[in-house]
Amino acid sequence: MFVARTNPRVGTDRKTSLRMTSGSESTEFQDIASATRRLYDVVQTLQDKAEFLQPAALDGQEWFELLRQKLVPQLGEDPWLVAAVVGGTNIGKSVTFNHLAGSQASATSPLASGTKHPVCLVPSGFSERHDLQAVFPDFALHEWTAAGSALEESDEHNLYWQTSPDLPSTLLVLDTPDIDSDARVNWVRADAVRRSADVLIAVLTQQKYNDAAVKEFFRKAGAEDKAVLVVFNQCLLPDDEQYWPVWLNTFCSETGIQPDAVYLAPADRRAAEALELPFYERPWPVHTGWGPDSVGVNSSPRNLNQDLSRLKFREIRIRTLRGSLKQVLDTTDGVPRHLKQLRLASDELATASKRLSSDAVLKIRDWPSPPNASFVEEIRIWWKARQQGWAKKINTFYDTVGTGITWPFKKARNAIQGEPVPPIDKYREAEWSAILTTVEELFDKLQWMAESGNRMIKPQVEAVLQASTRTQLIQTLKKHHASVDFDAELKSMIATEMASFSEDSPQLFEFYRQLHNVSAAVRPMTSVVLFSLGMGPAGEAVAPLVAGAAANAVVHVVADVAGGTTAAVAGEAALSTVAGQGSGMLQAWFHRLHTVFTQCRVDWLTNLIREELLGNLPEQMQAAANLPSSSEYQEVTAAVDQLAELIQLVADTPASVAALNDDSTVSGVNADSTTDGIVAEDTAATLPIQRNATQESTES
Amino acid sequence: MTAHEQLEHLALLAEVDDLTDRLSRWIDDCPDWQTAHRARALLKRLLERVHTLRFRLETPLVVATFGGTGTGKSSLVNALVGREVTTVGRERPTTTTPILLVHPDIEPEALELDLSAFNVKRVDAPVLRDIVVIDCPDPDTSETSATGSNLAILREIVPHCDVLLYTSTQQKYKNARVIDELIDVASGCRLVFVQTHAELDSDIRDDWKKFLSSDYEVPEMFFVDSVKALQEQQGDHRPSGDFGRLLDLLSSQLGAARRVEIRRANLIDLLQEALAHCRSDYDANLPKVQELIETLEQQRVRLKETLTGQLCDELLVNRTLWERRLLSSVTDMWGFSPFSAVLRLYNGLGAFIASFTFFRARTSAQMALIGAVQGARWVKSRAKENEAESTLERLSTFGINDQQLQESRLVISGHIHTAGIDYAMSDDRRDLSELRRQAAALEGEFLGDAGRAVDEVIEELAAASGGWLTRVWYEVLFLAYIVFLLGRVGYNFFWSSFLGPIVSGSNSHEPLLEVDFYIPALIFLVIWSGFLVTTFTWGLRRGLTSRIQKFAQSMAESRLLHGLFPNLEETCRYVVRDDQQLTTLLDQTTSFRRHIADPSVGFLGGRREEPAES
Repeated sequence: MFVARTNPRVGTDRKTSLRMTSGSESTEFQDIASATRRLYDVVQTLQDKAEFLQPAALDGQEWFELLRQKLVPQLGEDPWLVAAVVGGTNIGKSVTFNHLAGSQASATSPLASGTKHPVCLVPSGFSERHDLQAVFPDFALHEWTAAGSALEESDEHNLYWQTSPDLPSTLLVLDTPDIDSDARVNWVRADAVRRSADVLIAVLTQQKYNDAAVKEFFRKAGAEDKAVLVVFNQCLLPDDEQYWPVWLNTFCSETGIQPDAVYLAPADRRAAEALELPFYERPWPVHTGWGPDSVGVNSSPRNLNQDLSRLKFREIRIRTLRGSLKQVLDTTDGVPRHLKQLRLASDELATASKRLSSDAVLKIRDWPSPPNASFVEEIRIWWKARQQGWAKKINTFYDTVGTGITWPFKKARNAIQGEPVPPIDKYREAEWSAILTTVEELFDKLQWMAESGNRMIKPQVEAVLQASTRTQLIQTLKKHHASVDFDAELKSMIATEMASFSEDSPQLFEFYRQLHNVSAAVRPMTSVVLFSLGMGPAGEAVAPLVAGAAANAVVHVVADVAGGTTAAVAGEAALSTVAGQGSGMLQAWFHRLHTVFTQCRVDWLTNLIREELLGNLPEQMQAAANLPSSSEYQEVTAAVDQLAELIQLVADTPASVAALNDDSTVSGVNADSTTDGIVAEDTAATLPIQRNATQESTES
Repeated sequence: MTAHEQLEHLALLAEVDDLTDRLSRWIDDCPDWQTAHRARALLKRLLERVHTLRFRLETPLVVATFGGTGTGKSSLVNALVGREVTTVGRERPTTTTPILLVHPDIEPEALELDLSAFNVKRVDAPVLRDIVVIDCPDPDTSETSATGSNLAILREIVPHCDVLLYTSTQQKYKNARVIDELIDVASGCRLVFVQTHAELDSDIRDDWKKFLSSDYEVPEMFFVDSVKALQEQQGDHRPSGDFGRLLDLLSSQLGAARRVEIRRANLIDLLQEALAHCRSDYDANLPKVQELIETLEQQRVRLKETLTGQLCDELLVNRTLWERRLLSSVTDMWGFSPFSAVLRLYNGLGAFIASFTFFRARTSAQMALIGAVQGARWVKSRAKENEAESTLERLSTFGINDQQLQESRLVISGHIHTAGIDYAMSDDRRDLSELRRQAAALEGEFLGDAGRAVDEVIEELAAASGGWLTRVWYEVLFLAYIVFLLGRVGYNFFWSSFLGPIVSGSNSHEPLLEVDFYIPALIFLVIWSGFLVTTFTWGLRRGLTSRIQKFAQSMAESRLLHGLFPNLEETCRYVVRDDQQLTTLLDQTTSFRRHIADPSVGFLGGRREEPAES
């Protein structure tokens, strides 16, 4: 017979466990339930937030499925036990199940992967007391009508349920699809059932007990601390009597499962079809040299259904819930691992972003210099509007005369050389060139980012790099660029700058006098910062620089200007060598005008590119790179810690065991199992949520 | 083997050689396209394998067991050779070291197998006369393919096998791991399907066959009881039932005569599958290249439109130039006559004046039209001269400016990136010189066409407005004044001032006409010629606009031979050609496979060329 497995902790911690359970356990379980639900919620919120990091999908991660399929639905007020028949294809799961049900509840077939959908036996009254849908959240529930419906193929996960009056009122029994056939959807369904189950009836055969798929499946079950009843089906008795301990040993060492009971069933097709297959119980572990002779003469087949009903429901319940919770909180497989992966991804992204934000700054060397003629013209106009009295009249007079005299010459020139192109139009054209160069370089940078960037940045950038987006971007930019009113821009810029200049400079007239002589050819160099993540030096590289050689040209042209205002205007230490002289002042002033204007234009371009091409990619990247410090992440950590603490409080409730039977038809009952029984009774009194289960099991 | 059979055999061999040769040629001829490179890399590896396979053509076939643990692989092998040569067990897995069974007459070294990895056993069994048998480990107890695992060992062996004995049982025939592994190993192998454990299990062969038939050709399945067969063999009986048949077929059908055939079928399978794989890769990536081709074409059309539009605008603006070309054309046509002399004079004067204002032709259109003074020939030579001199300048006046070039490059490089074509745009971003050169060449080509078309238009217009009737009419009108003037002067000179008085005897000599006659006469001559010339040129101008539009249309309809990226266009064409070649190769291999590797013959199955409709 089965020997009760003792948890090493049980002996030492028994006293504390009794104390813990005596008054506070029910509230603790409620705390655990609410903490689990909270964890379930915040983990999903975090997942949404972390989208950029392309984290592993929650669906399909063992711990998350456990939360969804087992813990959230089952950590409720009223407990029940789920037992499921599981195993490889075509080894007699449905036959075993039918023996449990006592009828052909699940169709059997000699062909493999017959059962496509789980079939569930529900105790009478259960479906009124509980929402079955909440118990099996992943399945579409159908009331059982015919055994054949579970064999039908469909994309939907169905579950056929049937009321069985023989079952204890808190026990659900399921037949599941296989775990190793090529119909992988069956695996998904079997996994879902496995997670919600508390007791697994593992059907094994000599062909399949060491199959990789089988081992993988049961390893997970072992980690979740399920109660496992092993049924070796299709045994050649009595020959296989000497082999099954070897098989089971391999199975246990591979999967980490300690079976709570072991049965052998002979390869007898006729008996199987007639629902008369005998299940012989065997003790585990067995002494070495076990063979056909070791079996007692009075070994008679057992009724699986009765054995199942005699399970210690409450212990199993607590054990599996805690086992699942432990899996959820496991540092190598559970939420902490997920969190760690998120953090690592986030760190990785942060490192990559840091590099990008310093490298992805475009240095544009040949942004066109704004037209000096237009500057001068605008300044003249501005100046004229501010002249008063006789000075204005004289100036207007001279202007009119000047216009009259130059008119024929202008006409002649226009006739010969054609209408001169307004300087601002020339600038517009040159700027478009510069924009194209910028965009080209930008795409080069992006391409480089896509190639050298990490897996998170790459797809995002690749999406931006599509050929069609380029065409679109150029068209959009062109449209916007064509609609820019440079004159207005220049005017408003000059107005602002002149206003501040006039406040600072009393020698305005001198400046104006010199203005005519200026024909500066400065080429501002500027930077377009695309990924200002606040991490690199990008922030400081924004200010445009003026090439030195071009600046000197201005100095030569411009004559002396009344000094004294230089410092106020220039404000740039780099120019201080010539700043003492008037020419230096004027040069600095022009630099400033150029700089301000260029900066305006570059900002315009940067904003447009961001809007049209990059979208909120930089912001997303930044948010993702800072994920571990986000409130969502912190909340998940907090929820994990809270849950871990709560589990610690109940951790020492007896972890064993399913005492199958108290009658000693089979030898080998040891003292431990009796002790367990006592503990169970003690705690049952204090636990309203488990009392039902215990009573049920005793009654039946 | 008869001489005829030998010849047939050689012919088949030659066909395989031909196919591999074509493949090698295809591999060497690779466009700069990533997908093409990938395909070549794959096929190159495969061809290496093909070459080693050719050396093995004459060695015995390698037959290996394949199937899940506990499906009776070792039992089957024992039963085949009729003695217990490999361990049969109830513990899983039983076989971890592969066992190689070789007939004492066969040298195992010739098999090109790594013999150290096998447990080699020499067995004198009749079935081993022409084949060697390997008992392989299972593919389904290992969860990973780590070195030393059964799965890793199996994967080492399978590429060397020619025939796989695929064993399965009622419990295992739908095992996902085995099926997945089979998909990977089945190409390049013939398959024999065996359901074992006949003593215990039901016959599931129909369901199994249905299950496999979407991916495999399944001509026959055997349902065997290896234990019984072994006993029968040991008792010197011929095994009964399916096992007997299986044994017979293995001995008779895998003999020396069929070796080459089977190996070649395997080889073609492999090639066909690799090519099909390349094909699907191409199919997935070719649309992007086609997009690129489309874009290049669009740009070419756009360039053409820009050029044509610009040319027409200029042609319409430069009416005076048109007139001069037309006039010179008409005068050329008319040869020498009084009125044509006037026209020439007018034309020459106009050119003379114009040459002061325009020191040289400022636009291509003007250049194409200018200066009929020295005749059409001179225009052409001059045009050539000008062309060489200022291509770049013309470019900017012609609408292909740097920005447009830059835009093109930007868009195209995006497409190149998406299409995965290895085409290096110039390293320096700001360097447009290459593109400018291309644009200039493009424009040169365009202008050549345009020049010819303009010539035609002018000839046509000249012929239309310089017809015989018009000519006579204008000559008569012009000459009428000249005749009148000559008559008037002649009357005065000969008659009224000289002969008239002599004849009539009167003394009243009229005086000779003086300057105050000649000046108005000349003035009126100029006015009259001016009037005639104006009327004539006005006539010429009629229909000019509509003619120019027609000309533009004809220009737009003609095609530019290449665009701004001739090399890239060449690469694209290369890719398209390569794609067609791949299709041809695949078609050839597929039909070849159907022809020589028809799996419906005999009991050997294999992978289908494409999944059947289930």
